[in-house]
Amino acid sequence: MLEVDALTVAAGGFRLHEVALTVPDGECHAVLGPSGSGKSTLLHALLGLLPPERGRIVLGGADVTRLPIERRGFGYVPQGLGLFPHLSVHDNLTYGARARGVPAAELRRLVDRLVERTGIGHLLDRRPPTLSGGERQRVGLVRALASQPRLLLLDEPFTALNESLRRELWWLLRELQRERRLAVLLVTHDLAEAYFLAERVTVLLDGRVVQQGEKAEVFGRPVAPAVARFLGVETLHPGRVLRVHEGLATVAVGSVELTALASPGLPADVLVSIRGEEVVLQAHGGGASSARNALPARVLAVRPGSPLSCVELDAGFPLFALVTRPACEDLDLRPGQRVVACVKAPAVHLVGGAGPSNGH
Amino acid sequence: MSLRHFTIAAAAAVLLLYGGLILSLAWFFDGAALHAAVRSERTLSAVRLSLLAATLAATLALLLAVPAAYALSRYRFRGRELVDTVLELPIVVSPAALGAMLLIFFNNPLGEWIERHAVSFVFAFAGIVLAQFVTVLGVAVRLLKTAFDEVPVELETVARTLGASPRHAWFTITLPLARRGLVAAFVLAWAKALGEFGATIMVAGTMAMRTETLPVAIYLRLASADLEGTVALIVVLVTIGLLALYATRRLLGRTVRA
Repeated sequence: MLEVDALTVAAGGFRLHEVALTVPDGECHAVLGPSGSGKSTLLHALLGLLPPERGRIVLGGADVTRLPIERRGFGYVPQGLGLFPHLSVHDNLTYGARARGVPAAELRRLVDRLVERTGIGHLLDRRPPTLSGGERQRVGLVRALASQPRLLLLDEPFTALNESLRRELWWLLRELQRERRLAVLLVTHDLAEAYFLAERVTVLLDGRVVQQGEKAEVFGRPVAPAVARFLGVETLHPGRVLRVHEGLATVAVGSVELTALASPGLPADVLVSIRGEEVVLQAHGGGASSARNALPARVLAVRPGSPLSCVELDAGFPLFALVTRPACEDLDLRPGQRVVACVKAPAVHLVGGAGPSNGH
Repeated sequence: MSLRHFTIAAAAAVLLLYGGLILSLAWFFDGAALHAAVRSERTLSAVRLSLLAATLAATLALLLAVPAAYALSRYRFRGRELVDTVLELPIVVSPAALGAMLLIFFNNPLGEWIERHAVSFVFAFAGIVLAQFVTVLGVAVRLLKTAFDEVPVELETVARTLGASPRHAWFTITLPLARRGLVAAFVLAWAKALGEFGATIMVAGTMAMRTETLPVAIYLRLASADLEGTVALIVVLVTIGLLALYATRRLLGRTVRA
């Protein structure tokens, strides 16, 4: 288990403030944030490349804050993978064991298992520059695992791959992680990657942890407008809470009123956030729905995408819906079309500290 | 003229310049003089002296340049900029001035103490090595720094997360990946030392069979208006230099394929 406690690091003019997070064995924890948010600084501090001003890094119960890199017990797969180009794949995989003087027989069993599991047996005599992107990723992962780390640090390792290969490797990583009950800390700005791989998520902005928790909670209920914007919530609009009754809040947004779940201590001025995939579109004059919010709306624009297209609506305030292409065709969605946009009350998330409208 | 034609013409001009200089030797080339020069004990002594001094100077320069270049490439430390600037000293200051500075140093109390109690440099073989060492050190550090810059730090970090100590990571990852730069730095330092004249003559003088290197021998032949002898020695020097460069290209080619 990794425990990071109040870690404060200065790097040039940048400062990482009081970062705390925990990664239990067998769990993947994603650190999310845009460029310049402090992800790399955190990673470098964990690796021991940057000395912290304050705070502690505890791995498997041992304080590793001041230990040199090679004695920390982290496995590391950087964005560029860091494969040694002058060594064969086999020598890359056994490098760590040789450096640490692990007996050859013990090492061979572990490497053989990992090689067979990841299907890279035919690559052992090749050199990294001759491998494809996917093959290189597999070798990078196996090499890190072969050193039997107590925690695997992944720094956006799948960024350079195409979508299908990336998903294939996500599955492989998830299976390996669960089989080996490995703690993984994934640093990424790829929301889909974090959502697929991680159980818990930490969002870093400007060197501070702004939100942390179960991924569904963080993605579904961002605590601040900046988090919502980073997490790609399609609709963000300021609103005013008119009343709260039996746990439901009525919020004035643009020229309409929405019903949302009320949380304790809800301020009067809020930012209404609605994820595009939570908006259901019906043909105008369609049947009844259980959704508390059924808003007559006019289609302003349809931006085709794969697999989801983004539909921009005027529902009394700017509202964005993500729908599949077949759904777009069935409803014959085009600018000027009138539809009903349905949003369930739990999908209308109210964020305190409303800023200006984000729009698209 | 297109960019392609212009740049190829410039490359041809470089070849024409140096090729023309070598070919112009033919005007005063005398086979008998070359034969006599090659068989002369004095010339052979100058060749031996030049090869030995250049090899020692280049080796010593690399022994200091490798760690210094690595520090400049990887670490931020106080005085780093100063060290980086001082590397250009042998380029901006003429070799003769560098030699004069060495001579002045050995006339200072510390230099005199070294001369008396440690190693005698002035008008001695050690002086040739020292003069060449001082002249080539900056270039060697500069070349090696570039070589280390080209090895991603990330590889060393990964090696260490795999359990390698800094020293193990350096010897197994950094050094092998910088080997082309290392070979190139040694050869260029060696070639520059072989042709070094200004600093050598200042510190070691021109004593035949003792401190007379090939460039010094060429100067002395020319000073005595022996053009055929001068050309013969130049041919010897150019042949040694070109053979060394050819061997290096073969070696580097093999290094790449290895």
